[in-house]
Amino acid sequence: MRTPGRGLAERVLGGPVLWTGLGALTLFAMAPFVWVLLASFKTRAELYATPIVYLPTALSFANYVEAWTSRLTPFSRFFANSLWVSSVTMVATTVVSILAGYALARFRFAGRQTFLLVFLATQMFPAVLLIAPLLSQWYALGLIDTYQALIYSNFSFTVPFTVWMLVGYFESIPRELEESAMLDGCTNFGALCRIILPLAAPGVAATAIFAFVASWSELLFAITFTSQTEMRTLSAGLLFMVGQYEIQWGQLSAGVIISTIPVAILFTYLQRHLIQGLSAGAVKG
Amino acid sequence: MAREATLVAPAARPLLSRRARELLTGYLYLIPVILALGCTVLFPILKAMHMSLYNHVLIRPQEYGYVGLANYARLLHDETFWLSLWNSFLWVFGSVSFQFLGGFAAALLLHQSFRGRALVRTITLLPWIIPGVVVALIWEFIYQPNYGLLNDILSRTGVMTERVAWLANPGLAMPAVIVTNIWRGMPFFAIMLLAGLQAIPGELYEAARVDGASVFQRFCFITLPMLKPIIVVATATRIVWTFNYADLIFVMTSGGPANATQITSTYTLLQAYSNLDFGYAATLSVALLLIMLVFTVFYLRITRGLEGVA
Repeated sequence: MRTPGRGLAERVLGGPVLWTGLGALTLFAMAPFVWVLLASFKTRAELYATPIVYLPTALSFANYVEAWTSRLTPFSRFFANSLWVSSVTMVATTVVSILAGYALARFRFAGRQTFLLVFLATQMFPAVLLIAPLLSQWYALGLIDTYQALIYSNFSFTVPFTVWMLVGYFESIPRELEESAMLDGCTNFGALCRIILPLAAPGVAATAIFAFVASWSELLFAITFTSQTEMRTLSAGLLFMVGQYEIQWGQLSAGVIISTIPVAILFTYLQRHLIQGLSAGAVKG
Repeated sequence: MAREATLVAPAARPLLSRRARELLTGYLYLIPVILALGCTVLFPILKAMHMSLYNHVLIRPQEYGYVGLANYARLLHDETFWLSLWNSFLWVFGSVSFQFLGGFAAALLLHQSFRGRALVRTITLLPWIIPGVVVALIWEFIYQPNYGLLNDILSRTGVMTERVAWLANPGLAMPAVIVTNIWRGMPFFAIMLLAGLQAIPGELYEAARVDGASVFQRFCFITLPMLKPIIVVATATRIVWTFNYADLIFVMTSGGPANATQITSTYTLLQAYSNLDFGYAATLSVALLLIMLVFTVFYLRITRGLEGVA
């Protein structure tokens, strides 16, 4: 397969350098995960042994069971909370940003540029800026320790990004498609639902998953707007577990793995679409 | 484009009403987003600005009151604030530069075709999407002085003989959290630059090869210039994001030891959570916002320039 044009440099780059680089890259990315995964199967004695024990002697799920059923730090409850908050945030964000993204992609109205600029600028705001005012706002509305407070707060970082991404997707769909549908008597909303959405489905799915993953990771709102253990999300629960007593690395490792699995699965699906979306949004930037 | 559309529109339809209907629908579709962001971003920011003008310490409610710009005066004389700005600079510069270099190398590697590429891609991109608190805890575990992985590897390979408390040592804590952030953020650059690499037409490389350009020349005269817009956008986004990002440091060191890792965003959190000083926390966050706005203006200038070139 070697083309005559290939020089020595290319063969070295394509061979040894490529494989060494890939090895180093995979090791750097994976080693910390593997280390925690191993720790989650270790017994207490193995975790704190000197010199340290690399491999657990048996595949024990005790840490997972303890973390999942613990009464002080119930990961089953945290998991359910995270799932609910992230799912509702995802659905609401998607609906809101489909409408907004469509309007900004299709209609030319006064203030359109300003809107686009606001969505871009909002992505640059520090989350810490919102914490004190949102806390007093949710407190005044009696929303402390509710899912609503977390879901609404999550909009502040999911919506600007998803709108920005969807504007790009919608603009890439030829306008003639829905114009002909509307000539056939379709309403604007009907054309959006029947023509545009099916075509933009991959993009919409990607933005939806983005909203889910971002909410799943959210920490600061979750620890500020909840005080009861039953209302904590996984991120907040993990942090709570650290502050609770001497760090239980076994249970904590299990908790870390539990929190990672759903987003890892979603990400494998999302990867390709997200790459396209990011570069589309970025190039327009 | 809008003009063309209206010109081509059949004359039978009244122009104004169609235009008016379009406007109305457009604004209607925007109502949910205006509500959502109005309540969670716009109003809170105004509220933060308002709070920054008050003495508002939760544990001293009797002292609550309007103080004008006193909080801002305090900010200018607050040595920890200036230290946190410097730390923020180190944090951003250290993190983003290495994320970029590592991510670029990763993108070039992942752009090659080899068996198992999809799997390697997914694996190397994973650190980016897992929750920040998870990243922080994983690395805290690795840095742990007594049974952490890092000390064990370093002593086994003979690099070091004594155990190091990575996160408790003022000189090492910042590099330690930066390495964690590099691990987390490298995939972002990899993903962005990979997308950029895939968008470069293969014919360019073929033509250059025919003209006898070496692999390094092709990199310098095709790859780099073609990637320039994405590099600028990705780096700017990353700088802003890293400057604002508090989760990692908040979980790993809370800004310690002795403020060695105190960046401006964690300092804001400290004022709000530990000192319950909401007035001053709001002042700090408004300062953060101003810094980011200035940066954004520069950033928009640069990207405008890029668009003009392209």
